[in-house]
Amino acid sequence: MSELGTNREMSADIQGDGDATADGRTILLIGSGPIQIGQAAEFDYSGAQACRALQEEGARVVLVNSNPATIMTDPEMADRVYIEPITTEAIGEIIRKEEPDGVIAGLGGQTGLNVTAELAEEGVLEEYDVEIMGTPLETIYATEDRDLFRQRMESIGQPVPASTTISLDEGESVSELTEADLEERVEEAVDEVGGLPVIARTTYTLGGSGSGVVSEFDELLSRVRKGLRLSRNSEVLITESIAGWVEYEYEVMRDADDSCIIICNMENIDPMGIHTGESTVVTPSQIVPDEGHQEMRTAALDVIRELGIQGGCNIQFAWRDDGTPGGEYRVVEVNPRVSRSSALASKATGYPIARVTAKVALGKRLHEITNEITGETTAAFEPAIDYVVTKVPRWPKDKFEDVDFELTTAMKSTGEAMAIGRTFEESLLKALRSSEYDPDVEWADVSDDELEEQYLERPSPDRPYAMFEAFERGYDLEKVVSLSGIFEWYAERFERIADSTRAAQDGDFTEAAIAGHTNASIATTAGTDVDTVESEVPGRTYKQVDTCAGEFAAQTPYYYSARKSEFDSGPLLGAAAAGELEVDRDVESVIVVGGGPIRIGQGVEFDYCSVHAVQALREQGIDAHVVNNNPETVSTDYDTSDGLFFEPITAEEVADVAEAADADGVMVQFGGQTSVNIGEPLQDEIDRRGLDCAVMGTSVEAMDLAEDRDRFNALMDELGIAQPDGGAAYSENEAMELAHGIGYPVLVRPSYVLGGRAMEVVYDDEELERYIEEAVRVSPDKPILVDEFLEDAVELDVDAVADGEDVLIGGIMEHVESAGVHSGDSACMIPPRSLSEDTLARVREVTEEIASALDTVGLLNVQLAVRDGDVFVLEANPRSSRTVPFISKATGVPIAKLAARVMAGESIDELGVDERIPEQTSIKEVVLPFDRLPGSDPRLGPEMKSTGEVMGSADGFGKAYDKAQDATGKPIPDSGTAIIDLSDGKFPDPDTEEGDRLVAGFTDHFELCEEVDLVRAVREGKVDLIVSRDRDLLEVAVEEEITYFSTPASAAAALEALEAKEEPIDVQAVSDRPKRSAEWGRSP
Amino acid sequence: MTAAYVALEGGHVIEGRGRAPGTANGEIVFTTAYTGYEESLTDPSYEEQVLTFSYPLIGNYGVREERFESDRIHPRAVVARELTESVTDWLESEGVPAMDHLDTREIVTDIREGGAMKCGIAVGESVTEEDALAELDDCVAMSDHAEIGAQVSVGEAEEYGPDDPEAPSVALIDCGVKGSIISSLVERGASVSVLPYDATTEDVLETDPDLLFISNGPGDPANYEAAVALVSELTGEVPIAGICLGQQIVARALGGTTEKMAFGHRGVNQPVLDLDSKRVVMTTQNHGYTVGDPGDRLAVAQVNVNDDTPEGLVGTDADVITRQYHPEANPGPHDSLTFFDDVLAMTDAQSQPTVPADD
Repeated sequence: MSELGTNREMSADIQGDGDATADGRTILLIGSGPIQIGQAAEFDYSGAQACRALQEEGARVVLVNSNPATIMTDPEMADRVYIEPITTEAIGEIIRKEEPDGVIAGLGGQTGLNVTAELAEEGVLEEYDVEIMGTPLETIYATEDRDLFRQRMESIGQPVPASTTISLDEGESVSELTEADLEERVEEAVDEVGGLPVIARTTYTLGGSGSGVVSEFDELLSRVRKGLRLSRNSEVLITESIAGWVEYEYEVMRDADDSCIIICNMENIDPMGIHTGESTVVTPSQIVPDEGHQEMRTAALDVIRELGIQGGCNIQFAWRDDGTPGGEYRVVEVNPRVSRSSALASKATGYPIARVTAKVALGKRLHEITNEITGETTAAFEPAIDYVVTKVPRWPKDKFEDVDFELTTAMKSTGEAMAIGRTFEESLLKALRSSEYDPDVEWADVSDDELEEQYLERPSPDRPYAMFEAFERGYDLEKVVSLSGIFEWYAERFERIADSTRAAQDGDFTEAAIAGHTNASIATTAGTDVDTVESEVPGRTYKQVDTCAGEFAAQTPYYYSARKSEFDSGPLLGAAAAGELEVDRDVESVIVVGGGPIRIGQGVEFDYCSVHAVQALREQGIDAHVVNNNPETVSTDYDTSDGLFFEPITAEEVADVAEAADADGVMVQFGGQTSVNIGEPLQDEIDRRGLDCAVMGTSVEAMDLAEDRDRFNALMDELGIAQPDGGAAYSENEAMELAHGIGYPVLVRPSYVLGGRAMEVVYDDEELERYIEEAVRVSPDKPILVDEFLEDAVELDVDAVADGEDVLIGGIMEHVESAGVHSGDSACMIPPRSLSEDTLARVREVTEEIASALDTVGLLNVQLAVRDGDVFVLEANPRSSRTVPFISKATGVPIAKLAARVMAGESIDELGVDERIPEQTSIKEVVLPFDRLPGSDPRLGPEMKSTGEVMGSADGFGKAYDKAQDATGKPIPDSGTAIIDLSDGKFPDPDTEEGDRLVAGFTDHFELCEEVDLVRAVREGKVDLIVSRDRDLLEVAVEEEITYFSTPASAAAALEALEAKEEPIDVQAVSDRPKRSAEWGRSP
Repeated sequence: MTAAYVALEGGHVIEGRGRAPGTANGEIVFTTAYTGYEESLTDPSYEEQVLTFSYPLIGNYGVREERFESDRIHPRAVVARELTESVTDWLESEGVPAMDHLDTREIVTDIREGGAMKCGIAVGESVTEEDALAELDDCVAMSDHAEIGAQVSVGEAEEYGPDDPEAPSVALIDCGVKGSIISSLVERGASVSVLPYDATTEDVLETDPDLLFISNGPGDPANYEAAVALVSELTGEVPIAGICLGQQIVARALGGTTEKMAFGHRGVNQPVLDLDSKRVVMTTQNHGYTVGDPGDRLAVAQVNVNDDTPEGLVGTDADVITRQYHPEANPGPHDSLTFFDDVLAMTDAQSQPTVPADD
């Protein structure tokens, strides 16, 4: 095996001095870029952990990632931090500058692996003598090329599902392939794997995009055609369907001496056929007997040895009970790298896979790496678990009404929540609660037929809830199992939960509490008050995640709550609730409430803010605890805080932590809407229990004021701050009246919006009526807001820190898109370029006035619009915002940390920090998930749809914008054929001077597409760039991965980028980019 | 609902839900494995013990005889967070008291802090705390179970494997052997004579063995005098192998010492470092005693990564290979199955018996 040989040579190299340390070698660590479906915050967590591990070993770490909203790109995380596009061009430049000795590719997800492979193929690594550390490139190819993988597995006697590939011949293109020719190839392939249904998969894509179980031949034809077009190597894999088998994942670790262990296994409760990222997953396995488990474990070790992997690796199996004592299995897939699953495995067991992977890449042996959780064991062991972990995905179902969220082999979820309990029931209910998902279903209106067909048979985000509903209706276990395909052991426990809910309705609360319901929800179910429930049920106590099931005393464990048994009922007060907590109840301590699962509108930026708050508190000598449930994040790493609590974020559960840890305060400003939303109920709960614990920073009352439209309007009027005209309407008539008073166009949305949910711009009565009928149901308790729409205004975001007296401006950002595009979806720049000094002074003044009117202590985000020099306030939120990390990276001022210090009592004066302005331009650009969500509307609008962000910096706007587009993975081509379709009213008429300028600008660089059938031209690969708002055309552009711009502002920005193409790519460490202290913008 | 109490040494009584009725006492120990409850419950090494599962959900995939390691359940009683109906039925049918719905992690940490301890358990319609405490009073220390070998061993010799004079012949001293040890040898072509724990040298030589194999088993190795004597007599005459208690017996026979551990090793994730290959493997373990000083005639070849206790010994002057852990797995990792190839390889050299230099 040449791979293994390469590895051994490499490790011998490292051990040249007889010592497995890095010896000051420079190591390049590549991140995974923006958050997108299939690649979320897990790589920030693994990258950050790896940075620390490498530095501990004495390595000089050079880090590159395009995503500013990450902890790993904090200046102190590495010796050199580059926020640059993850492209061979940019990374090639970084390699030239930094001359790294080695690159670790396996920690940056598929993005990191792909770019490393490309750098090797382009000869860059060889030219600069950069070694690929850890898992060799051959292994990556062997796992990604299905045929190669299959051969390797067969050579070591491991069973794989029957499979074959359909590929293009040398020089053949998809458009040339005739239907008959395609049919013939597909038929042949189907025969080879034993007939339909089959799984069709495209190789070299993230999160299984474009793959699925296909039962119809025609559907298979169209999938294969599309797959051939999208695949990097023009291949589509056809595999035997093993639908209905149990899906397992094994997380494996191997060192250079060939010590191999598994960290844990994970069992999907949905049968094979649903992507593991879309499935509810349980650790450890429940339904496979020891013999079956050990056979797969042995297979996993054989596979990792055969592939020569060093470090972490994920292996997927399908297993079924075939009547033998151990059952039978197939090896399905290998990911030779740290993954979403390894983040989950790390958090589920306490075994830090990324940390160990990084150390193994440097040549350390597993038994030489300390297990920091126990302090007395090593990384050469397999964690023992004495609890049940459940992971539930979170889908953006509320954002994409046109998208079918049936669960398939392709991922559509944006994030996940993890929960720990002593029983599956407790673990499941905690996980579902943590996911903050509420099915948009009135179960009472759903007939039995519909329940069976739409919700039980059809896998969807609603299925767990439908199972409860079915059992509550009295369905028997067998029927639910046969409809859903969910394994009986699990379905039986769903039934127990439903039974416990029914018992609670009848006044017996104990079973419901032990099953994992909160006291609050039991009280609601039973129509009683929390005090009554609390006095009757067993309380929560805290248990340790210690990697060893209690066998060793732990040094840095983390915690989960579990109900006591029915033989130990009644509330647990104060220290009695502490259980196994080892936090210091006698020192000053603060709980930072995290953000829960990643979703659209609430991304990794809130984890960044939470982590910064924790860091600031600890720097101040205050013990900081974290309550969060997102296994992907840095905030849930074992050594981020003084006490980590893996818990759902509800007022009751956070108050329980406060009581058990005897915390002095809780910070709810940093975790986005999730934490802000519990502010008020948490205050109530603290009062109810009489705890000596404060909700810190800006008062709950002021936060509420900022969100209450009428009160906020009145406050702005009082302060003389302009706002768009508008008001709240409680009926359709009122909405019409308001719209007429304001004049169309108006912006309409439900009050209390999350991330612009259901927000629209309407231009006449008809559109308004339709909006009210279709999008929202107005009612007296659910008013809608009708506002003047400031067309063509420049929108701004300001982030600031206030201490109750002074205000520190973090930064003023100008949006690239004009009003009408959700602020979370608009590209934005710092510093602003189209505002006068006077206007900026006014912006600052308005921010200060609002900060002081809301008695803000901590962070404040203000959204403003400027038209003709007039400054309007759109919204003010006294809490962290999604632009905080971008601002911090661009200016070098860590405002989330400063905010936490201010909340803990320091004044801005004492901080001694001034506003800083970057000398260059930094652009934040968003990443959109349309390619993952077929059927979605790919046009930017008032509803937020982006999943993540990137940052591009350069001397001028054009180059910065160009770099940002590169970083999103949708680079602006510099030549070719373009469609410039300005037919939509949002674009300037081509006959106007402005329209003409746009067309002429693109014509300088592109041929205009002359085809009559534009869609077909795009399909046939004849188009390189599109400017349009034609939804059909853009949907095709999304499928074909053609760069497009759907707003006049972004099209104009793209033109500037085209003009800047000739400028060399400016690659600079983020701390080297020049800034100046700000004098501008200050009020006179 | 059936009441249930477990009383721990020191008088701490924990209430739970009664599952299988009865009263019992024994040394309370815990295993951290999350699969393999059938194999563990039928492992004779748990004789006279009360087994606590640290993993909370036990019995999830039913009960099948093919997975048993012996013909009955050995722990005196069973404690878990949640036992399924199928495993409860099995325990009840064998008359083994069992309880659940209690905080087993609390018991585990008690054992960790206080060491393996005595306990009493009472399960039944009308049992009380006092019944459990009374059982605790009756509990005998593990090392005082002098005849424990007799409780688990075959009464008369049994033969397994091919009736073939060419096949390597293994004389296996049954101190409570797991079925997988026998089948691991038989699968590799050996013919195995399973002999009682107190077999004499004559009994052994009568089988014309190519290998003497001392099995695992419950209790204190000091209570296996016959087997110790056997090993000291036959070392150098016949290659010797041992697993778990077998390693301890071999050590005592060859001048080493054994000692009781605080709470032992029980689970399927014990890391063992091979000092020669530097490779770490995961092992199944179930022991409360360990070899202290191996003496001059044995060298330590493998150690536990966590606490450095000897996990593998080799003879310095004779063909001897022993393991403290369970290479036969069941439950647990299959990482060390080659042990059986290694010990059977010693039988090839049998025609040229090792002559110890100082013998």
